Amino acid sequence: MDPFNYGSFYGLCPRLLAFQPILCPISLFPLPGASIGSTILYAPRYNSHTLQSVGVTMRLTNRHFTNWSISEIVGSVPKLALLLAAIFVCGNASADAIQDKVGLEFFETKIRPLLAEECLSCHSVKSKPIQSELALDERNAILHGGSRGAAIVPGHPEKSLLVSALRGRNGAPDMPPKGRLTEQKIALIEEWIRRGAPWPAVTGSVHSTPKAAFNLQDRKSKHWVWKPISHPTVPQVKNRAWVKNPIDAFILSGLEAHSLTPAPAADRRTLIRRVTFDLIGLPPTTAEVDAFLNDTAPGAYERVVDRLLASPHYGERWGRHWLDLVRYAETYGHEGDYDKPGAYQYRDYVIRALNADVPYNQFVQEHVAGDLLANPRHNPAQGFNESILGTGFWWLGEGTHSPVDLLQDEADRLDNQIDVFGKAFLGLTMGCARCHDHKFDAISTRDYYAIAGFLRSSRYQLTPIESPQQMQATIDSLDRLANDRDELLRRALPAQAAHAAPSIPSGATLFEDFSKKSYAGWTATGQAFGAGPRQGALRAVPTAASFRVEAVTNSGAADSGFLSDRLHGVLRSRTFTIKNRHILYHVAGTGTEIRLIVSGLQLIQDPIYGGLRISLSGGDALHWVSQDVSKWIGYRAYIELVDNGPGHLLADRILFSDGDAPSEAGARLANFEESRKLSSEAVADLHAMDARRLDLEKSLSDPPRGLAMADGTGENDRVHIRGSYKSLGSEVPRRFLEALGSPAVARPDDGSGRLALARAMVAPTQTPLVPRVIVNRLWLHHFGEGIVRTPDDFGVMGQKPTHPELLDWLADNFISASNPPSNSNVKAGAAAAFSSNACGWSLKKLHRLMVLSNTYRMSSRIEPKSEQSDPTNRFVHRMPVRRLEAEAIRDAVLAVSGRLDTTLYGPSVMPYLSPYMEGRGRPGTSGPLDGAGRRSVYINIRRNFIPLFLLAFDYPVPFTCIGRRSTSNVPAQALAMMNNPFILEQSEVWAKRITADKQATTEERIRQMYQTAFSRPPDSSELVQATAFLAQQPGGSGALESWTDLCHVLFNVKEFLFLN
Amino acid sequence: MRIARPINRREMLSQAANGFGAVALAALLQDRAFGADQIPAAASQSPMGPRPSHFPAKAKSVIFLFMDGGPSQVDTFDPKPRLAKENGQKIKMDVPPTQFDNVGSVLKSPWEFKPYGKSGIPVSELFPNVGQCVDDLCIIRSMVADHSEHTNANYFMHSGLGMQGRPSMGAWATYGLGSVSQDLPGFVVLHSGMIPSGGVDCFTSGFLPATFQGSLFRAGRSPVADLELGEVTPERQRRMMGLMRGLDGHMMAKAGPEDKLEASISNYELAFRMQTAVPELVDIKGESEATRKLYGLDQEHTKIYGQQCLVARRMVERGVRFIELLCPAVGADRWDQHGNLKEGHEKNAAAVDVPIAGLLIDLKSRGLLDSTLVVWTGEFGRTPMAQGSNGRDHNPFGFSMWMAGGGIKGGTVYGATDDYGYYAIENKVTVHDMHATMLHLLGMDHKRLTYRFSGRDMRLTDLYGEVVHSILA
Repeated sequence: MDPFNYGSFYGLCPRLLAFQPILCPISLFPLPGASIGSTILYAPRYNSHTLQSVGVTMRLTNRHFTNWSISEIVGSVPKLALLLAAIFVCGNASADAIQDKVGLEFFETKIRPLLAEECLSCHSVKSKPIQSELALDERNAILHGGSRGAAIVPGHPEKSLLVSALRGRNGAPDMPPKGRLTEQKIALIEEWIRRGAPWPAVTGSVHSTPKAAFNLQDRKSKHWVWKPISHPTVPQVKNRAWVKNPIDAFILSGLEAHSLTPAPAADRRTLIRRVTFDLIGLPPTTAEVDAFLNDTAPGAYERVVDRLLASPHYGERWGRHWLDLVRYAETYGHEGDYDKPGAYQYRDYVIRALNADVPYNQFVQEHVAGDLLANPRHNPAQGFNESILGTGFWWLGEGTHSPVDLLQDEADRLDNQIDVFGKAFLGLTMGCARCHDHKFDAISTRDYYAIAGFLRSSRYQLTPIESPQQMQATIDSLDRLANDRDELLRRALPAQAAHAAPSIPSGATLFEDFSKKSYAGWTATGQAFGAGPRQGALRAVPTAASFRVEAVTNSGAADSGFLSDRLHGVLRSRTFTIKNRHILYHVAGTGTEIRLIVSGLQLIQDPIYGGLRISLSGGDALHWVSQDVSKWIGYRAYIELVDNGPGHLLADRILFSDGDAPSEAGARLANFEESRKLSSEAVADLHAMDARRLDLEKSLSDPPRGLAMADGTGENDRVHIRGSYKSLGSEVPRRFLEALGSPAVARPDDGSGRLALARAMVAPTQTPLVPRVIVNRLWLHHFGEGIVRTPDDFGVMGQKPTHPELLDWLADNFISASNPPSNSNVKAGAAAAFSSNACGWSLKKLHRLMVLSNTYRMSSRIEPKSEQSDPTNRFVHRMPVRRLEAEAIRDAVLAVSGRLDTTLYGPSVMPYLSPYMEGRGRPGTSGPLDGAGRRSVYINIRRNFIPLFLLAFDYPVPFTCIGRRSTSNVPAQALAMMNNPFILEQSEVWAKRITADKQATTEERIRQMYQTAFSRPPDSSELVQATAFLAQQPGGSGALESWTDLCHVLFNVKEFLFLN
Repeated sequence: MRIARPINRREMLSQAANGFGAVALAALLQDRAFGADQIPAAASQSPMGPRPSHFPAKAKSVIFLFMDGGPSQVDTFDPKPRLAKENGQKIKMDVPPTQFDNVGSVLKSPWEFKPYGKSGIPVSELFPNVGQCVDDLCIIRSMVADHSEHTNANYFMHSGLGMQGRPSMGAWATYGLGSVSQDLPGFVVLHSGMIPSGGVDCFTSGFLPATFQGSLFRAGRSPVADLELGEVTPERQRRMMGLMRGLDGHMMAKAGPEDKLEASISNYELAFRMQTAVPELVDIKGESEATRKLYGLDQEHTKIYGQQCLVARRMVERGVRFIELLCPAVGADRWDQHGNLKEGHEKNAAAVDVPIAGLLIDLKSRGLLDSTLVVWTGEFGRTPMAQGSNGRDHNPFGFSMWMAGGGIKGGTVYGATDDYGYYAIENKVTVHDMHATMLHLLGMDHKRLTYRFSGRDMRLTDLYGEVVHSILA
């Protein structure tokens, strides 16, 4: 039988069913249900042993029915007739019993063996675990179903999940996993269900699917991270002289408890090199080192630290650490590696925010909901909204090119957002709760989808980076001018000279006619669309001698060109479910576009999705545009009317229809042509007004845009059973994690509700996580390892803190207000609580606390005895030797060679593309070999073309939150330092600089080189070796090549790559 | 809580071979917060040096012939007479959404199939030379994958997840087993001209230490980035490195016996050795004329892939653990014939047929095939109906691959697709099953080869995968 042609089969089955009540092979099958015994099959395999339990009769049955396949019945009418005849002859029992017996027989001979053979190895009450919680060896268990719901609907194979699974239909999991059953076997199952799924009477207890116990409160009570931040007292230590600040007391108390002694203090040169790299990611200059060495007054080191924290390079260094947490890249990766416009604006936002020491609780809120803050932070110099740029982090993930399964793509995108969100801010692996309650942590699947709801209710946007305040005067003038012009036109034209509103074709439904005063149900960003729809939009387009009037409508319209074509803006509709084959837009415009965002898909690309974007170039006459959305019926979507720069868009009707657009672009009035004749006075006035408008437009610029969130229609998500959007469970209100006691924080009608989420995250009473996680991240970068050595996983599977009290003491002080309240009534005792260690969420104060500790000032030198007792340095008995990160190595090379361009911010420099970097999406041109001398943080990070030099030194693949980079040791590193053209080039740049001073002696030059590269003078042996090396070169110390080689060697000396 | 077990690092380091192993060991030890207790059992020696497998291995090395773009199963190894019968007709089945969503009518294969070898397994005209080796192949006609898009499918085929960031199978293999080769990387990707969609992340070590990352070798004299000295002569480099060794002493003295530094210094020694080992590896001058001909080096259209296949054999001889070969550029696209099926598939097949057969024959004659697992697959197959008139769209629901050598039952066919060749219906083999089977042949239990990341013990096979025992010798 053709496995894909069921026609004849389905055609016959109803007839077969019609005979059912009279099927009565009684005498042949005296099989009371009870004689079967247990209702549980002898899993996993059906065998002859099973048969013996029902004795002779069963074997008889076998003889008669083993080959009784549906196809034979269907295919052989004479056989069927014979069978039925036999049945008629023997019946005298009640219809029910008869059916029961026939059905049971069918079950026992056909279905029970089939289930045993094909299904029970995974789906038995004896399976461990029972796959998908579905057992197929008890009728009630089948009816109850597994995680996807009831497996069968008796009587209705077409509605039964089991059949869908066997046929691989309706999104059901394809079962069995090892290959589809034969058509005959599937038909048997269908037949059995159609018969009402007969099954022998149940004698034993009904199997009920055991649920794995997930007790959130129990989990919560058993793991340290959910507990509130404690207020540990600073421990007492023996060697009190060593304690510079409380950090030292915590560390020393641990060391003393294990009979360890802290390493001696590092020398000043080591210390300034260490702290400079740590805080700004560059080597100290010779002058800076000398100044520190010569500063003998108390507080010299503190002054170095304060200088570094005030340096704009601090933001570059720590911004780069932050970018690791949010999988920063400037392309989408995947097939085309398309640009991600506006990504670098997020990077610059981070650098500026860190330099400005924006309190971390503010920084977090800006990331989660910066677009929704009532009082956003504005850039002090340029006035634009800084806070909204923080939300760009949500959109830094990869993007699939033309995903075939849009809903899966959406679910994966959301998952990546939740994964990064959970790890970066909360140190929780929330992604683990996507398919099931977290296996170890107090995070339920409902928690996951509660968070997912916020993201489903949020949207992508490119936000213009400009100051509405600074533009306001211009906009007001443009507004007055536009209204004057409009009034003039109305006076000049006959009253009836307007489009009648286009009629709505039969069968179409109106989605929007912009007849309200406000954009109710829409959100406008930018300035172009104004505060609400325009009533009666007119357009007078200048021609050689006069004006041509176009697009006249008496009804309401969204009009981005009313004030000026130079303004930009986007109008976004509410989210709706696509129900019709077409969306019809009655629009006019040029240089603008309509985008339909289906299931959040932003990366609109052919071959599948090209039709979701409609570019308008039809000029100023209103016309119908039809968008075929028949592929996406049932999907959630919203409309974007996009005016990004010169151009305009006017829309007065949006319809949903199964038919195509009306052929006529709205009935024009008979006297429309007549109406276009303007008086010469009107023409003169219009010219004057347009001249004035052009003048005003000069102050408008085309602003850069940044990745950001926009709020959408508030919607709760539903639990995706086993992580599949194909089987949705119950709806979950949008809220923060249950373990943190969070009630529902969003109502359906107030947008996404992300702001409430953001506030809950940074409320210290509610979440102890945010402060602990960030404190640990700073510690990790200063001390080589975190107090929690798994910085992105504070859960049960992560590591426990090596110093839990220190972690809480730091977290507690980090969030404590740093200044006593100005209220003079505060008692002396209360004021003391505001100790000098309190940071008030200031990251710079926290850095200061850490790097001013004596712990940080220890030497990294190995002391064999301590090393033996504390081989992993978990007690922090010394500072670790650390290899510099990829960026720090590259930046140090540039700094030392003198090539470093310290320009801050701005568009990224394209990466240098070596012949070893190939593949789809390769940019047309390579960036400069030296990256224009810019710091590595400004190199354009293209997902598919990450610079090999950086990759060799463990630059992380930007796919998730990476709080701790690996530091590997691979030959590619040595090869890069020895042979990479960038290193060769910079060696020569440095050599040229060194040899530029013709008066300097060889020794003076070598001394200078050592100072620059290693922050110290060479010792005598080094001087001798370097001098001898120069002398041995073919050109001797007079040749540039000799000096180039010496520079090259110094880049390769381990002291250049490692930090003591 | 997982505390790194106390290791006397210096002691361990001194015991390890002074070479790649020692270097990589130190690399792992640096990651000891995660790594030390994760080095697979019996890691008393270096992680990159060879390590015992979980159980005796059938294969020591893997050569993965990746047919980038997705060759059509119904035109290569899975003949479907029904396509000829219904050529030009509307397909009589429900068709799932496809990448181009441009479903045409049934398209018969432009190529004839004929039986080969003792087994009589049919192979199409596209692979007459591979056909001659069919008695060494196990053709799996029931592969299924999860994605219809190239990049997701490529990531999935390589790493078991259709997204960026997971370790590639070669990284897992070297993480588990290390490598016999002491002066070559354990996981090498031979680049013949086409980088698959998704880029080098197909070969990433992901969250595993970078030690296990795939090293991309280009075809030709200068296969590895930064391996060539450029203007610097070897003599000049030797002088520089001599000085470097001397100047390194200062920091060593200052830091004490810090193994990060020792390891970094040894790393330079390995890099040095690679500078000679790699050119020696890719220098095929010493190969006989017969061998060169066997691999198709005498023909322009087979030259590049033939050379890479030959280099792959030379790598197997040197103990490289996992070698992946990428497709050559043939003047048509990769195997991704949405249109122009006839010309595109013919050019792609012609470029690799002789070299692959040459590789199989050569490995066998040298007694290496028994210990080398050769795997041939695309990231998915293609649709039985046309896209346009002369093309086929992507199809992850049923496609063909084959394995040969190291522990595989040759001359067999496993699994089947439906009459159209669209869906695998019998003995489905998932990508995770394929990975599990590959690891099994390497002597590893895919469920035990884990690395803790993101709060769980990650596997190449994620939560899935079963070894396909039926295809094992």
